[in-house]
Amino acid sequence: MFSEQAAATAQGLLAPPSAEPPTFPRVAVSGYSDCSQPFQLGERSFARQYAHIYAVRLAGMRPGLERRARSRWGNDVVLRRLSELQEGEKCCVVGTLFKSMQLQPSILQEISEEHNLVPQPPLPKYIQPSDELILEDELQRIKLEGAIDVQRLVTGTIVAVYGCEQDDGRFLVEDHCFADLPPPLPWSGPSSDRYVLLASGLGLGSVSGEALLSTQLLVDVVTGQLGAEGEQSCAAHITRVILAGNLLSQNTQSRDTINKAKYLTKKTQAASVEAVKMLDEILLQLCTSVPVDVMPGEFDPTNYTLPQQPLHRCMLPLASAYATLRLVTNPYQASLDGVRFLGTSGQNISDIFKYSSMDDYLEILEWTLLAGHISPTAPDTLGCYPFYKSDPFILTECPHVYFCGNAPHFQSKLLQGKEGQRVLLLTVPDFSATQTACLVNLHDLSCQPITFSSFGADSEDGDMELEH
Amino acid sequence: MADELYLENIDEFVTDHNRVVTYKWLSYTLGVHVNQAKQMLYDYVERKRKENSGAQLHVTYLVAGNLLQNGHFVTMKSKLSTIASVHVYSIQKALLKDSSPLYNTDYDIVKTNLQHCSKFSAIRCAAAVPRTPPDAPQVPEPVQSPQRQRDPDAAINGHRVRAAKPPPQQHKGIMGMFAAKAAARPQDTPKEAKAEAKEAAGVSAANCKPPTKNTIMNNFFGKAAMNKLKANSVPEQPKEEKEVVKPSVAVAESESSPNTVAEKPGKKTESDRIQQKDKKSKTKRVDRSDDEEERDPENVKKKRKRIKQLLSDSSDEEDVPPSPTPEEERVPSPPPEPALKTELEPASTEVSAGGRKRKRKRVLKSRMFIDEEEGCMVTEKVYESESCTDSEDEFPKTKAPAPQEQAMLPTKREPKEERKNPKKGAAPASRANKQVSIMGFCQKK
Repeated sequence: MFSEQAAATAQGLLAPPSAEPPTFPRVAVSGYSDCSQPFQLGERSFARQYAHIYAVRLAGMRPGLERRARSRWGNDVVLRRLSELQEGEKCCVVGTLFKSMQLQPSILQEISEEHNLVPQPPLPKYIQPSDELILEDELQRIKLEGAIDVQRLVTGTIVAVYGCEQDDGRFLVEDHCFADLPPPLPWSGPSSDRYVLLASGLGLGSVSGEALLSTQLLVDVVTGQLGAEGEQSCAAHITRVILAGNLLSQNTQSRDTINKAKYLTKKTQAASVEAVKMLDEILLQLCTSVPVDVMPGEFDPTNYTLPQQPLHRCMLPLASAYATLRLVTNPYQASLDGVRFLGTSGQNISDIFKYSSMDDYLEILEWTLLAGHISPTAPDTLGCYPFYKSDPFILTECPHVYFCGNAPHFQSKLLQGKEGQRVLLLTVPDFSATQTACLVNLHDLSCQPITFSSFGADSEDGDMELEH
Repeated sequence: MADELYLENIDEFVTDHNRVVTYKWLSYTLGVHVNQAKQMLYDYVERKRKENSGAQLHVTYLVAGNLLQNGHFVTMKSKLSTIASVHVYSIQKALLKDSSPLYNTDYDIVKTNLQHCSKFSAIRCAAAVPRTPPDAPQVPEPVQSPQRQRDPDAAINGHRVRAAKPPPQQHKGIMGMFAAKAAARPQDTPKEAKAEAKEAAGVSAANCKPPTKNTIMNNFFGKAAMNKLKANSVPEQPKEEKEVVKPSVAVAESESSPNTVAEKPGKKTESDRIQQKDKKSKTKRVDRSDDEEERDPENVKKKRKRIKQLLSDSSDEEDVPPSPTPEEERVPSPPPEPALKTELEPASTEVSAGGRKRKRKRVLKSRMFIDEEEGCMVTEKVYESESCTDSEDEFPKTKAPAPQEQAMLPTKREPKEERKNPKKGAAPASRANKQVSIMGFCQKK
């Protein structure tokens, strides 16, 4: 992307100093609007049960699913509630899936004295062949079997199943469908090349120092210090940087201080303090040059349950002096230059990864879009705020860019929908592990990874490279 | 010949100082554009190569481009299909084993130039301007009741970030007055769109004044007061201290600059301690004791600031109405005790402007009444405004001579004495949250 345009002046700086090097003005932000209001919690009360969130989720998604069911199985398909089921009658039922998994960590089992169980260590995946799917609606539940992939699906998904009830009380599924892609948003993207840089998992405060240089190189590219003139002028077209979570490393969590005696830990500073100072400095360098949106992630100092609230600006005194810094929620939805972005820091995808047979983050991301819900496993296995009025994770409009942070690799796919939806699915890799960030071109929804590496094993001269 | 100077500079840095000279470091040190710095480094490398002098130089390059997907590559350059840019990244004498010297060099130089880190960059962003702090402090509010009305407004107005601040301040009853002040102060500048700018306003103007009075005021307050001062000022100050250190050094007396400097390193670690203390009750002094010695120098200085303010109150009658209230305005979030005192005196003096004879004071009185429902007698301690003369009321009397004593003899004794008084005042008012101090028995009922 950058390379072709920049190649002309690539060697320009291998020369004696010339007069007055050019400075390029950064492309101004033409339209930005933050659409994350549903994810911002004001007054929070945890006195409510989580059953309400399932009730509003089902109520919110039922109309869409019934429409889909009719379009798929004919207009005359019989839609029934579970309480109205008649044995042997082919009908369609809309409900919430529940997957009962033997290996699912259960706090009740752990603390139960009868079982005498040792707490289960965290596993990468909790699926087993013996898992069962159960469909629940407002009043009843029924076991499902048949043409439905038990391993692949997760709890909390709203699904419409077509089949009939057996005499043993189970529902034999012949076909099923999800909410499918939400209705499309009108396209009003920019007419020229505008880029948005997405990075996640900066992992500051970790023990390793190698990734720090890569982070510095990333900042230098974006602020226009690194690279020859051509590259710098291309970098001036980056209109925004989105940091999708895990700015701090997992090492900063300092969980072991909970077990230590108070007198030992009294005056020790939390590891995250130093890391946040480093983050502040990096953000300051970025903010003096480009608008930045900072999303919190799993290891960042904010609340644990989804939707995570923005980091507090008191932690970033230097950077928050600039209006270009925006501290936003996780999940984050915004309209940049007419292009709607929606994404999370990756907790939703990694949670589905643990409880489903799907292995590919991009596949899971696409599946959540087709299921019409950002995070179906919340609140079952992923912490979530007890919503009761409406479920803000239901997808009502199809975004143009749908991303998730902290993925193991960079992957992207342009999905075309039947109703004219065009979505760029993007898994933003973990920067501390892969040193890769993503560059999205808003003009044509193309995207490209950009990797920073230094001191490769096969270099004599000590080259550093910037690949894209 | 000016062109040759940079060559000599680079030579000096690399060979004599044994430095790792990165383009960024050179750019900041010589004050040139980053591209010029890169070219300078290249020029130096080329000349050194031509000279062939035998001095070993290691050069690190930056290569950027599109990666070729397949095959095994000999050099870094052959890995890239199109090269987007190549330039010298750094020059150093020794062979680098890893990237940490490069990172450290850049980190250090950026850290010392944080405020203008994009000065020599090739990209300028028009949108990246610091949020403007609002104008100089406005006319102070004269009476308490408008402040009270504005307090709920302040709590509702503004976004969540703002809302985070008033609640910790409204914890204790006596703090209500301060919260009203601190929150209502931004109301004076309704034009300000950003709430954080409002706090910055109060603080930046405030910080110019308090450092000057630190020496005398600090004796005045008890530890609880210090907690409050810190709790509220610390979140607001970090941003301001950078800018304020400069003006305050210019304005302040010699002892104030150590204050601001001492505050700065202390502030970060204090902030988390302060948050805990906000919630603890006043009697949990044990936990605070280990922190007190660290915070005492600052406490002492802060206390002294208060004393002087009151001194000016009691001594200068005509100037009392305007002067204490602007000073209240400027202090970021003054602790409860000075609130009590300064409000007592301005309130009283404003009601009867110019006269010291009759003052309306808020006095702690106990009311007894019979509660029919429960069938018992209830004794309640209430603050009531009552009109009284100076001599009859002991409460202000103990305070009025005390500030004057302060000015005369600043000894160790005073901090304790003054601490007693604020505690007497604070404790009954916030009895719901705090245990009544034992000194309450010494008060005249």
